[in-house]
Amino acid sequence: MSDPRLRARAQQQQPLAPAPPPPPPPPMEPPVALDGANNAAHDDQGATASNSDFKLKFCTVCASNQNRSMEAHLQLAAANLPTISFGTGSLVRLPGPSITQPNVYKFNNTTYEAIHQELSNQNAQLYTANGLLNMLGRNLTIKSYPERFQDWVPGKPRLEHKDDQGYAGTESGVVDVIITCEERCFDAVLEDLHNKGGRMNRPVHVFNVDIRDNHEEALVGGKGIRELAMMLNDAAAQEMETHGDSGWDSGGGNARAGFDERVPDILAAWQEKWPNLPAIWSLAWF
Amino acid sequence: MPGVLPLIGPNSNASLEVQRFGADFLAEMFASPMWSAEAKQPIALLVLDTLKYYLEQVHDRGVTKGAVQAAASVYPLVYRHTISDPNDKQHWKTMTDIKSNILNRMDTAPPGVRICCVKFVQQVVLVQTPGVIDPRVIMSVSRCHTQSTHAIQRPDHSDVSLALVPRDHPLLTYVHLEAEGHGLLDRLLDIIHGDHRSDSMASDGGTYLTGYSDALLVTSVLNSLGVLIYRRPIAANKILNSVLNFNPLKLANSPMTPKNKVSMKAIERTTRALLVNILKRNTTERPNDPNNGRMQHFLERMHRMRQDIMEETSRKRPAPVEPTDGLDPAKRQRLGADVPSPAVPAVAPLPPGPVSYRQLYTIDPENAAANFDVKMFQDPALVQQILIPILQSIDEKKLLEATNIVRSRYLSLSQAMAKQQPSAAAVDEDEYEPDDYEPEDAEQVANRLDSTGDITHVAPAAFKLPEVPQLTPGELQQHGELAIRRTFALIGELEDKAKGTKGGFNRLAASDFGRDAWITIAARLATRASAGLDEPDDGIKDEYAVKNVEGSLSISDTIRDLLHDYVIRDWKKRIDVAMSWLNEEWYNDMILAQSAKPSPNSKTNGVGPPKGNYRPNALRLIDGILPYVAPSDKGLIRLYSELPTLDYEMLSRLKTMAQDPERVGLATQVLQYLYMFRPPVKEIVVSITAELWRENDRAKPKCGALLKVWKPEILQEVEGVEVKKEETNGVAEVQPPA
Repeated sequence: MSDPRLRARAQQQQPLAPAPPPPPPPPMEPPVALDGANNAAHDDQGATASNSDFKLKFCTVCASNQNRSMEAHLQLAAANLPTISFGTGSLVRLPGPSITQPNVYKFNNTTYEAIHQELSNQNAQLYTANGLLNMLGRNLTIKSYPERFQDWVPGKPRLEHKDDQGYAGTESGVVDVIITCEERCFDAVLEDLHNKGGRMNRPVHVFNVDIRDNHEEALVGGKGIRELAMMLNDAAAQEMETHGDSGWDSGGGNARAGFDERVPDILAAWQEKWPNLPAIWSLAWF
Repeated sequence: MPGVLPLIGPNSNASLEVQRFGADFLAEMFASPMWSAEAKQPIALLVLDTLKYYLEQVHDRGVTKGAVQAAASVYPLVYRHTISDPNDKQHWKTMTDIKSNILNRMDTAPPGVRICCVKFVQQVVLVQTPGVIDPRVIMSVSRCHTQSTHAIQRPDHSDVSLALVPRDHPLLTYVHLEAEGHGLLDRLLDIIHGDHRSDSMASDGGTYLTGYSDALLVTSVLNSLGVLIYRRPIAANKILNSVLNFNPLKLANSPMTPKNKVSMKAIERTTRALLVNILKRNTTERPNDPNNGRMQHFLERMHRMRQDIMEETSRKRPAPVEPTDGLDPAKRQRLGADVPSPAVPAVAPLPPGPVSYRQLYTIDPENAAANFDVKMFQDPALVQQILIPILQSIDEKKLLEATNIVRSRYLSLSQAMAKQQPSAAAVDEDEYEPDDYEPEDAEQVANRLDSTGDITHVAPAAFKLPEVPQLTPGELQQHGELAIRRTFALIGELEDKAKGTKGGFNRLAASDFGRDAWITIAARLATRASAGLDEPDDGIKDEYAVKNVEGSLSISDTIRDLLHDYVIRDWKKRIDVAMSWLNEEWYNDMILAQSAKPSPNSKTNGVGPPKGNYRPNALRLIDGILPYVAPSDKGLIRLYSELPTLDYEMLSRLKTMAQDPERVGLATQVLQYLYMFRPPVKEIVVSITAELWRENDRAKPKCGALLKVWKPEILQEVEGVEVKKEETNGVAEVQPPA
């Protein structure tokens, strides 16, 4: 949703060549309740991490922290994984009445609720038809406002985000895995991490899962991200179970290798399964 | 901290879980941005023993990882402590032990731990290399490297570097530290040049260079180099040289397993991100750095290589590039050239005696097709269906050969017949039957046409295509639009092709079938094709005019829409397109205006001169582009400077843009540029600037500075008012930023 030009192009192409969606997404009901407590609708499918296990912390990123990253945020939170989400654009951009009149908002202080309010005042019919209001309605149940990745201070406690979905585990304000939804965002994340200078000496796996910016693809991409996250989480949990230095000299099976070195294998296996979501990965530093 | 330490420390007999927690806790605590380095420094000394114990006595991957991470954060702190307290041998000794422990395991540990070692080494390199040196104080620095000069050089105290170390420090020997820093940097750089693929021993050093987790290590190193490059310019050149000599696509030679693909992409993208980051930083801080060009070049080369590799693997067989219809001029027969003709295939001679046309034209009687009776086809439409593709696929050379054979046969036959008897009809009319539809067929037709002068009685009647049904204006419009859209699809495809050489003044527009050519054609179609038709009282008036006007006009508008969209989609790259289009519009407007001038009297109904298309289109384009202009897009300056004419309204769009606080600077830059380099619009620029200055608080300082030079009287005149206003209502002026 970030770039109306791209969206328009995607829409133009659609009637000509509808992209064959990967495995059919199970229907997801848009959350109706606005009280932030209704995530039951999303527990219907897919594995979830149990509460006692070790969990990786995740961060999803797209351009405006509205569509793709929020869908993924929701999916990961529904899978019981600690999750936060960001956008990398300079401003939150949503499509407006025409291609040249996008609705532009500031990151970090415009709430989803305010945007929802403004758009439904502006033209409720239009924004219902193109799914924006529905999307915003979903978003405001997940967290309160879009956040900008570049303004994030990793390591700063996020105590003020208590009511966000997927909050549990993200209190300390660091994550183990960043998943972006577009190559531009991936590059922006790597660049920003360079700029931040890696002062924390903490490794972070950065992934890009390329998702076209529309509601349908976001849903499919969200499922893909959820699966990838679960695969990563399982591998990390396995590493924690391997006590002692058993894996150091004896080597052996895949499961004994550490989490970090298994990441390329995991991504490769995932990519085989989701060929329509081209992925990239890099190990970066906070 | 003192409360936790006994629980996790060496003497606590803590369980593995507690030790893991302890290691993670230490790593996270020293990483936290919420504490200042000053606060962390004394605590760092307390945990050294614990870290040493974790690294030496506890053999658990989780604990080691955390301990190495913590050590990476602690090292600069202890280092700085040692600088300020030269007598504290004990702590520095422990730190050195930790360091050597980590460096020892760097090459052999499991990859998950090795990446943490990489980061530790990066920290060591960072603090053991001299820091940023301000060129203004470079003289004083060269005299002595004391802390006081460092404070002058760099106000950022958090930057711990070798520059802090006094030359006469009893524990820290400047030269040793520097040498060690260099050595460790080399070790880091070696990692990216290692074998990305296998777990093999490197032949020279006898150490594992990268091992099987290749991409993990390489990307971790690459991602840690960025900060070294910009905070340690001294080492920057070395690092850059190393990275630029690095081939991120090394893996392309190995089998393309899914994992290799992932690794290759990871390494390639990470390298790109690193270089792009440095480039961006350099273009603002050091625009003249010779490395910029090299990096640019490297990035381009890498891009090309990646495309090559991806193409090879993704495409089995590339589509033929040349047109198959034989129109390619390179494929025409070269008449003058002396090409040794390949041996003409032996042809069965005609049987003696009278021959039928069939025999005359059949070159290879053995061919099964020769015996095929075309009469089997009852439906002429079917014959057409078969014939046309065959005709299209005929090999020209074969056809020529066949034609020559038949020609020579015919010649010898006609000579023989002329000798015999002209009265005997050479061939009976009845015997004529169209023979097989093999390639010979086309040659048959051609030959017959060639020689109609000789044998008139077999000349075929001229073939008439059926009359094309008249198109309705609607259809016309529809097909026109379709054609235009296809043209733009073609333009889109041509985009990627490399640009050819520029012909300068000798260039003939639209002659090379490249992107520019099509753009030119499209722009001229839009502007000139219907020129004059849009004024019903202007130009030719006949009964068709009304009909044509509608169709052609809307075609122009369709093209304009498409051109507009095309530019908007990637306006930075397509400014040239926008310019050539708008120039065409402007030119056409001018021509129309000129042709309208000589006969002003002929206008009877009071309609003014043609309103022109340039202005509305330029305005629309500007309106389209402005929302997407980033605060640093210098492209906008170029756009404004290249527009053929500017008027008040176009420039006033800048005011709208300047309402975005981030883009105020850009707006004023555009104005400043125009004032300096486009004298004709100076007046407008000044008035726009004045309006900006009056209406937009954020633009005030910048516009004020410009106006001070351009037209100071505005400032004075309004300042008077301003001062009065502030006096009366000073509080209301101060508004929190929205």
